[in-house]
Amino acid sequence: MPETIDVKQRILAANEAAAKLLRGRAEANGTLVTNLISSPGSGKTTLLEATVRTLASRLRVAVIEGDIATERDAERLRALGVPAHQILTGGACHLDARQVDAALQLAAFPLVDLLFIENVGNLICPTSYDLGEDFKVVLLSVTEGEDKPFKYPAIFAKAAVTVITKSDLLPHVTFDLDAVRRQVASLNPDGRLLVTSARSGDGIGDWCGLLEERLAAKRSART
Amino acid sequence: MHELSIAHEILRTCRQAVAGHGPGRLETVRVAVGELSAVEPDLLCFAWEALTAEGPDAGSRLDVEWRPARQHCPACDADKPRSAGSWLRVCPDCGAVLEVDGGDELDVLQLTFVPDEKDEATHA
Ligand SMILES: Nc1nc2c(ncn2[C@@H]2O[C@H](COP(=O)(O)OP(=O)(O)OP(=O)(O)O)[C@@H](O)[C@H]2O)c(=O)[nH]1
Ligand SMILES: [Mg+2]
Ligand SMILES: [Zn+2]
Repeated sequence: MPETIDVKQRILAANEAAAKLLRGRAEANGTLVTNLISSPGSGKTTLLEATVRTLASRLRVAVIEGDIATERDAERLRALGVPAHQILTGGACHLDARQVDAALQLAAFPLVDLLFIENVGNLICPTSYDLGEDFKVVLLSVTEGEDKPFKYPAIFAKAAVTVITKSDLLPHVTFDLDAVRRQVASLNPDGRLLVTSARSGDGIGDWCGLLEERLAAKRSART
Repeated sequence: MHELSIAHEILRTCRQAVAGHGPGRLETVRVAVGELSAVEPDLLCFAWEALTAEGPDAGSRLDVEWRPARQHCPACDADKPRSAGSWLRVCPDCGAVLEVDGGDELDVLQLTFVPDEKDEATHA
């Protein structure tokens, strides 16, 4: 005779518990944590390099890099003097909170103001996993096409900030910025959208300003 | 495809739930998947098949209950139906921001478990 058992459990309960722990620690430390998500090559690491160049004199920064293979992205950040730890997922298409927790233990970063988590290049899978971040950031480069928000609605709906990257290439590609703005606004009316180029520096000041604002807001909410 | 990771978590959760029930096999597992959870039901079922194929739970069935998100317009005071796959958060009639309720479900609801008869007999 088969037995029927009521389970009633969140499938990602283990991830959610780890995320809660991470969030609590970041709260206690006054660290602003962002989870950067995009397709491969949209410019996550390059944006982080530009961010570090702009902010490192004022704020303490650390980076966790998620990739399937190679230490390359962490090395790029370390070359700028930023503590960076590489998580190698060995094939998995997303980071989960337990990996981030383990990485933070291993890395033993000093106390920082900003912790960036660069997720594995993928617009779908990372969406489901809370990493204890304050907010998700989705990046979309102008070479990827303007239909992406409606094609990958989950991440554009969930990310508090959408960063359009590689705006220096706009003259060379067909990319209807207004169409993207409209899609993001209708998926995520409370979200922010920034247009940036790490190459020309366009919009990098706005992006860094947003980070500083959110950090200040988080800290003043604490006291 | 993170559906395989999700399937792993489902199996782990189920196996934990039957841990005190002796040896046996899962027969059916019912899960809820919300439309905002970024999990694709078909891919999840394929992943489940692949994951369980070699073990004691081979042939078990994963039943996915699809949970749409409910969208309510506070200005029109009405629920707003959407076409499939459309996620718009603004009211098609008045432009107000819609309130979203549910759709983020990702739960193991219930399972059926068939204890090994042979084992029951030897322990009886
Ligand atoms: N023209 C231009 N190229 C850029 C810009 N930002 C990044 N790139 C180029 O885009 C390519 C990919 O950039 P990365 O920063 O490595 O992208 P990523 O998102 O970190 O990639 P993965 O970690 O592999 O997912 C590199 O060749 C960069 O030089 C930009 O603002 N303008
Ligand atoms: Mg990178
Ligand atoms: Zn309305």
